[in-house]
Amino acid sequence: MSLSRFLIKRSLQGLFVIWGVITVVFGLRFISPGDPANVLLPPDVDPEVRAQVIAELGLNEPLYVQYWQFISGIPFGDLGLSLVTRTPVAARVVARLPATMELAIAATIVAVVIAIPLGVLSATRRHQPADYGATVFSLVGISTPNFWLGVMLILVLAVQLNLFPTSQRPIGLDGIAMLLAGGDVGAAVDGFVTWLWHITLPAITLGTYFTALITRLTRSGMLDQLGQTYVRASRAKGLPETLVRYKHALRNTLIPVITVIGLQLGTLIGGAVITEAVFAWPGLGTLIINSINARDWPVLQGSLIIVAVGFVLVNILVDALYAYVNPQVAYD
Amino acid sequence: MISERTRRNLRRELRRSLLAKLGIVVVILMVAMAIFAPFISPYSPSQQNLDNARQPPLGFSTAETREVTQMENGSVVIEDGQVVTETQTVYTNATFAHPLGTDGNGRDILSRIIYGARTSILVGLFGTSLAALIGVLVGLSAGFYRGRVDDVLMRSADIMLAFPSLVLAIALVGVWGQAQAPIPDPFVATGIAPAFRSAVGLPTGMPETVVLPGTVIVVVALVNWVWFARVARGEALSIREEEYVKAAKALGASDGRTVLRHVLPNAITPILVLATIQVAAIILLESALSFLGFSGADVSWGFDIALGRQYQSTAWWISTMPGLAIVVTVIGLNLVGDWLRDALDPGIEGEGGV
Amino acid sequence: MADTILSVRDLSTRFFTEEGQVNAVENVSFDVEDGEIFGIVGESGSGKSVTALSVIDLIESPGRVTQGEIWYRNADLAEEFRGSKPEAVDGDLVDIRRLPKGVRRSLRGPSFSMVFQDPMSSFNPSITVGEQIAEAVEVQRRARSNPRSTRSRTQGYGLGSLLVDSLLPSKSYVDDESMDRAVELLDQVGIPDPEDRADEYPHQFSGGMLQRAMIAQALAGEPDILIADEPTTALDVTIQAQILNLLRDLQEQEGMSILMITHDLGVIARMCDRVGVMYAGEVVERGPLADIFENPVHPYTQGLLGSIPDVDDPSGRLEPISGNVPSLLDSEMPDACYFADRCPKAMTDCLTRIPEYELDGRHSVRCVLAEQEYDPADAVDSADATDAADQEVSADD
Ligand SMILES: Nc1ncnc2c1ncn2[C@@H]1O[C@H](COP(=O)(O)OP(=O)(O)O)[C@@H](O)[C@H]1O
Ligand code: SF4
Ligand SMILES: [Mg+2]
Repeated sequence: MSLSRFLIKRSLQGLFVIWGVITVVFGLRFISPGDPANVLLPPDVDPEVRAQVIAELGLNEPLYVQYWQFISGIPFGDLGLSLVTRTPVAARVVARLPATMELAIAATIVAVVIAIPLGVLSATRRHQPADYGATVFSLVGISTPNFWLGVMLILVLAVQLNLFPTSQRPIGLDGIAMLLAGGDVGAAVDGFVTWLWHITLPAITLGTYFTALITRLTRSGMLDQLGQTYVRASRAKGLPETLVRYKHALRNTLIPVITVIGLQLGTLIGGAVITEAVFAWPGLGTLIINSINARDWPVLQGSLIIVAVGFVLVNILVDALYAYVNPQVAYD
Repeated sequence: MISERTRRNLRRELRRSLLAKLGIVVVILMVAMAIFAPFISPYSPSQQNLDNARQPPLGFSTAETREVTQMENGSVVIEDGQVVTETQTVYTNATFAHPLGTDGNGRDILSRIIYGARTSILVGLFGTSLAALIGVLVGLSAGFYRGRVDDVLMRSADIMLAFPSLVLAIALVGVWGQAQAPIPDPFVATGIAPAFRSAVGLPTGMPETVVLPGTVIVVVALVNWVWFARVARGEALSIREEEYVKAAKALGASDGRTVLRHVLPNAITPILVLATIQVAAIILLESALSFLGFSGADVSWGFDIALGRQYQSTAWWISTMPGLAIVVTVIGLNLVGDWLRDALDPGIEGEGGV
Repeated sequence: MADTILSVRDLSTRFFTEEGQVNAVENVSFDVEDGEIFGIVGESGSGKSVTALSVIDLIESPGRVTQGEIWYRNADLAEEFRGSKPEAVDGDLVDIRRLPKGVRRSLRGPSFSMVFQDPMSSFNPSITVGEQIAEAVEVQRRARSNPRSTRSRTQGYGLGSLLVDSLLPSKSYVDDESMDRAVELLDQVGIPDPEDRADEYPHQFSGGMLQRAMIAQALAGEPDILIADEPTTALDVTIQAQILNLLRDLQEQEGMSILMITHDLGVIARMCDRVGVMYAGEVVERGPLADIFENPVHPYTQGLLGSIPDVDDPSGRLEPISGNVPSLLDSEMPDACYFADRCPKAMTDCLTRIPEYELDGRHSVRCVLAEQEYDPADAVDSADATDAADQEVSADD
């Protein structure tokens, strides 16, 4: 199967999953105790007003009509109105996206940049202090809840030593881009420094679990590859050790690691939600939490749909990348 | 169900690995702590003492400085037109009565950790069991019947996987509310624990109920069953091709019987390994929900970490101690998981971590 | 008599495993002459592969070559080290075990190269066959253009190329010239359409074709000695003959020596000039092919040959003598001839370690029968000849 046919097939599967996601999210409405009108109105409200609001929200329509109303707008970016602010949900969600994406990408970069060299070091210095250090680090790293790590980082580095802010996000990369577009390079550089200073602790918090996980995977994958006959054959033909290790063994190690990183993106986004809560980072996570506390179901539903759809899309991308780097995949 | 060979592998791996021994000891200690909480806990986890709030743990003391206006003969001292103030330092020392210190309401942190273990372990065990039950049912049916059934079940699993588990869990608990079931603590209800406590001179008045966080258990199971389904399906797919399973079917054994008698016992090893890792993952999930205040639990490690945040500049230990309890427990479980994986080599993957 | 290109003396290689010390190769000596095919034959587990890997310096942890000398004839190296390491030089010969690590590595390719048993696992699955062969060419090309970097660990392969190579299927290390040479080599080993096949991945090749490709890769550095470790064992019978013929032809064309390792006496009979028989990590008998086949002295060799009725029948396999190959665990090796527990002629004199006896300067054997006749009066029961530890091993398996 060619790469393009593979992509088409994966996209169709993805569409199906997205439809399923939307349907599940629609169903969330039915498990909530009480109806949305209660959220908007005081309990002792005039029944007539109440009936009017219910009609306005379409809650007395037959189920299939409500489902159709819910699902038909989504392809056009219509995720409904917030119960609380009466503004479009889509706009609120989109406004939060950059913050969450920045955080997720920063954490991934932290993880990859630290974990892969550490895993390789650990595998090539087996049973030496570096290996034991890396092994202990990855064990503790995958066992530490990231919100607690965040609290500890704030405690030590922000409150006690005053090296970093307790975070929040005074400026984002989108804002910096706008400054640059406006020609104000000095302000953009300042903005970037501020951004970096504020994102450091959240990125470490979110990235630690992944760093630990990828270190573990890289180490065991690398050990596995270094034991393969082709590595011995590469040495036998005289290849320098760096080539044997990095061009041959490391690349074959990274191929499965890429898939795992893709699979773990869900955990990454889940982790982002709680990291945002710890650092008052104004992303999708805080939006989700606030919408639950405010019982603003349309905002919660819209955020869930965006998160799940993004996750599905990224997974298709990862699969394509995997197929690209691994010639053995028959795209099946 | 567990063959002699499996047991031999387990023993050999255990002898070889110091870490595996450590993991088992930690897990046993944590479970014992949870079970026997009413005997060993120094105080009730909810007993407040506002006069003794924020007492540091052993080995530490705090010095709080305050600006106090200087008084002389009942009136403030004024020099150069300014009110003269002086700095006073208030020291708080650790005591053996509260080895891990006290929280913002003067509750004993050690007692809260001991009782918090109950919440974590209850949710970990019940949540994992429920997830395993759902997942194994779905996975075995999918793998055993294949075709249409398999397609439908596994596509719904794909849909579940499209939601990050923590996000889905937050949404479900958030929407659903927080049903909890208080069940009487057998040790307290039968009077054994109070009798023991007065005999050894510990304060009595321990909580009479154990709170079972019902919604949280259901939600973590709903969020995590997919991993079990995948493993069970894979096993069922390979085992259904075995001769003895074909023979059982040819002899007219019912499907349910074939699955129970032949397929399930063979799938048990990888499911067991996955379950160990999942207990760790679910404990982390529960603590995250509690940290965000969504679980409704008021004695929970995650919840206490959140409570301690408001004292982060004055009393670091309030957030630190329960977090350490989580880390130690999860490390223990992961070590046990590694041990089982190394000894049984089931070749599975499963999500973990928050 | 031709000159000796390789002379192995008293080589021992051990593995320090959790179960204990494994004496995989024990006091092994043999010579390989210019342009000959020297065979090593023995049952599986007798230490043949470890011997080969020790020669090419590819023993990995937990293993280590613990003693012995590996003399290799190379006038340039001899000249280079005559002053600085006189103990490593003897005439034109150098003892490669005493040379620095970088130098030893630089010998892989132009001096020694190796063909492995299973071609499918001996190629990197995610790089094209052509590129992998071209790498072997490239190493030598770079070595010629910059001799000093040959012995460095990186050979100018820096962080940039590393990052690119880890993520993209590119050809950043190899040069076009090396790719062309790789295609030539594929042609030389009889692969049809070499241009197209060079761009294919290992899983697109058949076993026989891939083994040809591995031979091409081994030829890339124009080695003095090609080590072929069971090169035909993983292949179909019809293809085995083709590969053996190819090796023969190449050996004549290139004038190299081949160290042929096999458990198949048929292969030895058909290919080799001289042969060494290995048992339990030791070379128990060695000499010219005719001597070994017609006048075997060691009862093990006799047993092996007894199992093939006709020397010219190439299908003969080794499963001759009842009993098990010993575990090679140091703690379980008897203080006797290692073959004693299976030997039909074991005597009381055999219950001590046996030295190598020279028969006529070309034929040597590690057995007391070299010096004395078998005397049934002195016979020991095979079971008595082993110590208790040995029996435990066979009971366990
Ligand atoms: N990496 C290793 N670790 C431990 N023991 C090894 C290793 N490689 C080989 N051995 C031992 O060395 C002995 C000889 O192996 P080998 O040379 O591969 O045999 P052959 O090639 O003759 O079949 C065997 O007993 C084997 O157990
Ligand atoms: S030394 Fe003795 S036991 Fe060993 S092979 Fe010769 S005759 Fe047999
Ligand atoms: Mg071998």
